[in-house]
Amino acid sequence: MSLSSRSLSEFDYEATLAGCAAGDRAAMQRLYTQEGARLLGVVERIVRDRALAEDIVHDACVNIWTRAASFERKLGSARGWIYSVARNLALNAVRDGHREVAVDDETAAALDARASLEAWHDMADAFAWQDSAGRIGPCLEQLEPVRRNCILHAYVDGLSHGEIARRLDAPLGTVKAWIKRSLAALRECMA
Amino acid sequence: MNSKAPPGIPPDIHELAGEYVLGTLSASSRRGVEARLGSDAELRAAVQAWEDRLLPLAGLAEPVTPSPQLWRRVERSLDTLETTPRRAARPKPWWRDWNNLALWRGLTAGGFATAALLAALLLTRLVEPPPVTRFMVVLVAPDDKAPGWVVQAGASRQIELIPLGTVDVPADKALQFWTKADNWSAPVSLGLVKPGQSLKVPAGQLPALQPNQLFELTLEPRTGSPTGRPTGPIRYIGRAVQVL
Repeated sequence: MSLSSRSLSEFDYEATLAGCAAGDRAAMQRLYTQEGARLLGVVERIVRDRALAEDIVHDACVNIWTRAASFERKLGSARGWIYSVARNLALNAVRDGHREVAVDDETAAALDARASLEAWHDMADAFAWQDSAGRIGPCLEQLEPVRRNCILHAYVDGLSHGEIARRLDAPLGTVKAWIKRSLAALRECMA
Repeated sequence: MNSKAPPGIPPDIHELAGEYVLGTLSASSRRGVEARLGSDAELRAAVQAWEDRLLPLAGLAEPVTPSPQLWRRVERSLDTLETTPRRAARPKPWWRDWNNLALWRGLTAGGFATAALLAALLLTRLVEPPPVTRFMVVLVAPDDKAPGWVVQAGASRQIELIPLGTVDVPADKALQFWTKADNWSAPVSLGLVKPGQSLKVPAGQLPALQPNQLFELTLEPRTGSPTGRPTGPIRYIGRAVQVL
């Protein structure tokens, strides 16, 4: 962990993306060597299929290469942009594969009205999230474990609202509300 | 912030961006966000801020060592791109015109299909992001991989099957067009095809197109398959590739 963290801070993602934008293949190869395994890990966790995950990382590399010039450094980090390309392809692949039954929020809220939130208060953490670096750590800690699990199941496992509800055996409307409020809390905490 | 939003009003931009990055939006809402990103700088900034906020969580997925072939595939794709002008002129270039069938008809030799398709797909990405998810499929003959037809689908909510050349079909037979997504139990007929003519299918008759969705043309009796399922040999086959 410490080794890869150090290499994260030593690797110049912005310069590497600039190299890709300029057509420097060596820059693309450096990026692949640096992030290929991590990108594949992230994508495979979402799509749960190795062959499809490799297809998506391939597409992500080609997209990164062709769209590197469109990266706007003032909006965020180069590494964040690289991961967004791969995650979006992976999320599109799993979301397009399932047509979720839409339940409007009010109906869901009514259905959930009798559901008690108490049962989830002392739920165990599903992720060793404390290892994750960065400013989000202390902010995640402020969330109740069950809400933290919702966020992590969504981001890391690529689960939809419905899938999270089934995984946690919690009502759909409750999961939606938890995620909405948790995102607002995280944003406020990290401001 | 939430209390300000009356019911029925779209969520605020940070909430929408957060759910988009988190991955909890439905397929159609995701497309809605993607369609706005090109023109909505505020949403783009909100999305990128969320990408950075949540990025450390990507470290929770264990790295997976890619197969040695993966980088070679990437290299081949980048090679293909480099044989075409990387920074093309601003006006609509000839290769962006999907209706320019001369391009596709020229590609009758097997093996060129993938390379040419990839180049065309990627070059479209260089110019401007299209507002909706679009798909392209090249249908090839199963034996020699010679491309015979192109399927395109996009904003018009219509699937179009376009011939790249002429095909010989026995007088008592017809080509029938089928599609099947991974999670469907059986292929669905999209109709009979006249050799050398394009076929337009309103996509409203179908669920949304999916990446990797299978398309094929089978040889059937002149009036179509008697069973509602493909019965004859596959003449052309291909899978949908998402065009970003």
